[in-house]
Amino acid sequence: MFCSKKKSLEVERTVKANDREYNEKFQYADNRIHTSKYNVLTFLPINLFEQFQRVANAYFLFLLILQLIPEISSLTWFTTIVPLVLVITMTAVKDATDDYFRHKSDNQVNNRLSEVLINSKLQNEKWMNVKVGDIVKLENNQFVAADLLLLSSSEPHSLCYIETAELDGETNLKVRHALSVTSELGADINRLAKFDGPDTKLIQNSGKTKLKRTSIDRLLNTLVLWIFGFLVCLGIILAIGNSIWENQVGDQFRTFLFWKEGRKNPVFSGFLTFWSYIIILNTVVPISLYVSMEVIRLGHSYFINWDRRMYYSGKSTPAEARTTTLNEELGQIEYIFSDKTGTLTQNIMTFKKCSINGKIYGEVHDDMGQKTHMTKKNEPVDFSVNPQADRTFQFFDHRLMESIKLGDSKVYEFLRLLALCHTVMSEENSAGQLIYQVQSPDEGALVTAARNFGFIFKSRTPETITVEELGTLVTYQLLAFLDFNNIRKRMSVIVRNPEGQIKLYCKGADTILFEKLHPSNEDLLNLTTDHLSEFAGEGLRTLAIAYRDLDDKYFKEWHKMLEDANALMDERDERIAGLYEEIERDLMLLGATAVEDKLQEGVIETITNLSLAHIKIWVLTGDKQETAINIGYACNMLTDDMKDVFIISGNTAVEVREELRKAKENLFGQNRSSSNGHVVFEKQQLELDSVVEETITGDYALIINGHSLAHALESDVKNDLIELACMCKTVVCCRVTPLQKAQVVELVKNYRHAVTLAIGDGANDVSMIKSAHIGVGISGQEGLQAVLASDYSFAQFRYLQRLLLVHGRWSYFRMCKFLRYFFYKNFAFTLVHFWFGFFCGFSAQTVYDQWFIALFNIVYTSLPVLAMGIFDQDVSDQSSMDYPQLYEPGQLNLLFNKHKFFICMAHGIYTSLVLFFIPYGAFYNVAGEDGQLIADYQSFAVTMATSLVIVVSVQIALDTSYWTVINHVFIWGSIATYFSVLFTMHSNGIFGIFPSQFPFVGNARHSLTQKCIWLVILLTTVASVMPVVVFRFLKVDLFPTLSDQIRQRQKSQKKARPLRSQRPQTRRSSSRRSGYAFAHQEGYGELITSGRNMRAKNPPPASGLEKTPYNSTSWIENLCKKTTDTVSSFSQDKTVKL
Amino acid sequence: MKVPSTLRFWTKMKRISEDYQSRLPDNTALKQQQLPAYRLQLSATGVLSGFFAAGAFCLGMGIILILSAKSIKEIEVKYTKICANCAELREDATNFDKECTCSIPFYLSETMKGNVYMYYKLYGFYQNLYQYILSRSNSQLLGTDLKDVGNCAPFSNSHDGTPIAPCGAIANSIFNDTIILSYNLNSSIPIEVPMLKSKITWWTDKYVKFQNPSSINLSSAFAGTTKPPYWSKPVYELDEEDPGNNGFLNDDFIVWMRTAAFPTFKKLYRRLNRIQYFIEGLPAGNYSFNITYNFPVTRFKGEKSVVLSTLTWSGGSSLFLGLAYTVTGAVTWLAAFSMMAIHLMLKKKKMLFIQD
Repeated sequence: MFCSKKKSLEVERTVKANDREYNEKFQYADNRIHTSKYNVLTFLPINLFEQFQRVANAYFLFLLILQLIPEISSLTWFTTIVPLVLVITMTAVKDATDDYFRHKSDNQVNNRLSEVLINSKLQNEKWMNVKVGDIVKLENNQFVAADLLLLSSSEPHSLCYIETAELDGETNLKVRHALSVTSELGADINRLAKFDGPDTKLIQNSGKTKLKRTSIDRLLNTLVLWIFGFLVCLGIILAIGNSIWENQVGDQFRTFLFWKEGRKNPVFSGFLTFWSYIIILNTVVPISLYVSMEVIRLGHSYFINWDRRMYYSGKSTPAEARTTTLNEELGQIEYIFSDKTGTLTQNIMTFKKCSINGKIYGEVHDDMGQKTHMTKKNEPVDFSVNPQADRTFQFFDHRLMESIKLGDSKVYEFLRLLALCHTVMSEENSAGQLIYQVQSPDEGALVTAARNFGFIFKSRTPETITVEELGTLVTYQLLAFLDFNNIRKRMSVIVRNPEGQIKLYCKGADTILFEKLHPSNEDLLNLTTDHLSEFAGEGLRTLAIAYRDLDDKYFKEWHKMLEDANALMDERDERIAGLYEEIERDLMLLGATAVEDKLQEGVIETITNLSLAHIKIWVLTGDKQETAINIGYACNMLTDDMKDVFIISGNTAVEVREELRKAKENLFGQNRSSSNGHVVFEKQQLELDSVVEETITGDYALIINGHSLAHALESDVKNDLIELACMCKTVVCCRVTPLQKAQVVELVKNYRHAVTLAIGDGANDVSMIKSAHIGVGISGQEGLQAVLASDYSFAQFRYLQRLLLVHGRWSYFRMCKFLRYFFYKNFAFTLVHFWFGFFCGFSAQTVYDQWFIALFNIVYTSLPVLAMGIFDQDVSDQSSMDYPQLYEPGQLNLLFNKHKFFICMAHGIYTSLVLFFIPYGAFYNVAGEDGQLIADYQSFAVTMATSLVIVVSVQIALDTSYWTVINHVFIWGSIATYFSVLFTMHSNGIFGIFPSQFPFVGNARHSLTQKCIWLVILLTTVASVMPVVVFRFLKVDLFPTLSDQIRQRQKSQKKARPLRSQRPQTRRSSSRRSGYAFAHQEGYGELITSGRNMRAKNPPPASGLEKTPYNSTSWIENLCKKTTDTVSSFSQDKTVKL
Repeated sequence: MKVPSTLRFWTKMKRISEDYQSRLPDNTALKQQQLPAYRLQLSATGVLSGFFAAGAFCLGMGIILILSAKSIKEIEVKYTKICANCAELREDATNFDKECTCSIPFYLSETMKGNVYMYYKLYGFYQNLYQYILSRSNSQLLGTDLKDVGNCAPFSNSHDGTPIAPCGAIANSIFNDTIILSYNLNSSIPIEVPMLKSKITWWTDKYVKFQNPSSINLSSAFAGTTKPPYWSKPVYELDEEDPGNNGFLNDDFIVWMRTAAFPTFKKLYRRLNRIQYFIEGLPAGNYSFNITYNFPVTRFKGEKSVVLSTLTWSGGSSLFLGLAYTVTGAVTWLAAFSMMAIHLMLKKKKMLFIQD
């Protein structure tokens, strides 16, 4: 039918309405929504398969299998299987619960009821059973769970208002109209299901869900591979050693120890030894590493959930960490991609100020006659005398009301214009209240303002507009409607008032309008210009307002020409545009309006702080360029101090390329000449970029719109785009489709290898939220899609600051500290086996008791490091917020990287050397205090184990910078646990029960009563910890980090309040002209003049005025006459899916 | 009328506030990450004083240890080469029944005061091999189940299938030389120096870990088992004079069964019985070791020696620990001084910077 254009792969969809048998031939997907992964039967195999796909789990399985081979088993099997089973079960349970909830929500959606026409009868049917081609009847306020084609509705002209909150988070109603052919068909809303289930636009547009891993995870995978390689090397060395030893020494030792069966020659023995050592040395990467990481992340997630400072009492919404595996990445964000509407702005427009005839209203003057900023103390203007006033509207300047009372004609004219020149539809609800249906919230704000000041727009017909002017009803004849479009940037109405005068009322962008003014306006123009600059400087959206008196004859001539032009086939639009130009001149300036696109609370401070943390913020919005720029200025992302703002708005690939090239020339002009880079390859380019980045002085901004972006994302210009964009301090992409948002994110991810965060509130942000490393959803809104797809959610944009600067930074800091310690600990723990190998004929004899090996990572040392990983703080949360620069180490990956890993490894190796060779030396030729043997293997094992536990405990004590009670309990507790477990396992009682499992009977008692052993343990501790302290002390002394300095400063002035860092003024100051903004789109004029959206009867709609509607990306035309980018987005979606 | 409505109002309010509170996170120190805590920071004074103290302690301890190690009197006589003929004889396992003795005279120039201990020392004997350490049966040695020879391969059963007691490679390879120290009081009549063979094992080994099977007659208790292949006599004939030193409870056997950590090791063999001439210890003079040479070491290119040694407060400590302590102490002080120098220099610089 109509859909042939939609899909490139599925070229055509043939559907016969209401004919299931026919439609079944094509095997279209059913309408069931599947987001769950498993069912009862498939859970175990699929889940296990998935789990063992993780390198770590597979590795441990492999080790377990090795351990079960008796020939090479050097460790008992329980050392691996217990933790492995534990991990697998834990993960499986978590996956199962997640999936259970997914099943639940799927069922909820699938089982919603709809009315479907089956066998010529309307029947209730679950949404999941709706088939392609079914005719569905919808009532008012029903959920829609499929893509539908509107056939007909009960409204006049088969219009239908839909809310797309779950699609794009926008709560205003959008108009759809049925094809005229079908519109005659029925009285109720009837729709034809078109795409079902996985084919729906929503699912197709939402991008692919990928398992997100943090960069630390990826680094860890690499490191585990390296470690494994390292182990193989050690294994090979030891295996060769074994072969040589067997050949040289062991051969002669056969008298005492025969060859075991199957181990008949040195080479084969070496081969077996290799595997034995692989098993022994595997404790460098124990499973507990992965478990601990999960536990730490879980802890951090809970801290986010529990944070009262991220709790929004307005909607009683706490912050929520929906993913528990990404926390430390929050501390490494370099790019934030933010949606605008609902994220940065509240989606509320308010009429703030106006300038009428050179007089400014809306500023509050105190008694001294000084301008002050609005404070709560000021009383708002009382509108209660006006019964039609909108209660939510507030205005603080009483002088305007006074001017109205005085009967200032200019003010009347101003307000009249606001009440007349717009596209708003009005209706009355059952309570007799006037309700405005607005397409552009700016207009809504203006019309509401006029309403409150006594110029109440009551109703309209295609030919008339009725306004109640200060109590008297006046009906104006609407003669012409000069619609808005992007080029004109203005709209006008021509009306005849009851007195018979014809007037043209015009509102539009000041830059355009001021050129059309009558020369007599010059003084007023200057005054108004000043006012406009002032408004714009405050980030308000401004419009200039003007009128023109027309004489009858002139208008008639003009009207005739317009009708002729309308009848033309060729060049119709050009001619009409020319005619509009013709009549909109010699205008008389009335003044200007200033509307505030209300930012969310704290947005400016947050953006300022995040910029100080060197996080680059890109705004990706479906909004128009002007609106987006306006918001950019309003929240201080764009400033006057910027050296240049590049605007890319070309419509063809060639134009875009040219614009990009120019911008780059401009940007690199002075720099590139010095860095003779003509042709740079990609790898060098990155390096070069960082050089150039430093040499560029001043801030730049880039603004690019969706059309240009589509071209710019083509492969050959991609590089230019990313290079340019990354040089700029601020990037604003406007008019972008959901898919483009994701593409931009992918672009930065792939080309900059930077960690990205996407934040948004609507379904149009879902794809971007999914493709960014971290997706954040604004919760507490009506649409849930963004939150459901997100990794973190909270109610206000300003919480992002705390999420990143405090939680993210801490998470990263803690995780890195944890990893550094963990690797150190396990290298120290494990490598002693390697050294011992040289003294035990490379026979794969472990240094420690098997029990110690099994318990060391789980029981003796896990809790202190967990406590550090969960609770540690280098500086307080307040300092983290005060000094955003503290965030930088995370972005630069400074705290845990390959270099740091080698340091940990060296530290571990050093400790293992000390741990092994000091006891080795001390045990040489030693005897106990009563002359007895103390240099036996078991005593050596106990000495080493005790030294190790004490050394790593001292080390964690040094590493822990924030000693809470929990840390104390865990550290002291672990040492105590070690000794009690040791004495228990070496006790007579347990030996009596299991003589072969606990052969170390009496060892702890005997060894640990020897002074000599304690002297060894003490020396080992001193020798292994001392160099670390020296190193750290000198590092803090010589190269202190910012965090060191802050800590030192806080220590020295503990009582004084911490010095606050110098922050730039968050006060906006801008002399920018034209904060012009119209948020609405072309085409409504036609709707109004044709009267197609007028109702015969007015059933009150459900939405009240508090739902101030708003409009951005157009979904309207999508059904039948939509543009190329939708086609491309669909086809791209399809390829992603395949 | 009034009361219920107020009540309803309050319950409603309560419900609302509960509702409201249920989503508001608790304001506890733990949940808000505000736990009272001590912020550990390495301060210059703390670190430096710690280092100086640790250095002083280590140096002091090092010197004490070195002095006490020096005070130990020790004599070691390697007898593999001296008894070369015996060593040669033992190279061939078939000569196991031929006895070979060897006497090694030596002169003790200084009296060894106090308790004197006699050790045997083996060089290059790997008691720490994985397969070797494994090759024993603790439950057999506990006397509960003589037939349990689980891990004892390759010495678990004899050719005819009877279980070996004590089984395993460790037991089989027991050190079986007899060493007798004699003192030449008047250059002509050698007196056998009285030695104790008790209390040379760990208490737990002797009384917990090793037990003979319960029976009146030890030899009948071991019926159904056979002696290890390298042994000349069965386990119940190890010391027929002293039942408390026979069977698995034999002290020499227990000492051997406690495997050494490194291939060179010394194990306690006898203690000086301080009676008669030897109340003060071993007086200076001429002595000789009379050794019945059974244990073959040349097969694995090893060596054996006999050691006489006294002890100090920390046991028979070697010089290593004292030296290690001294070096550590010295390095710690060195580090402390250099850290102090660097710290003071930086401080001065900062001061200058501020003055500028």
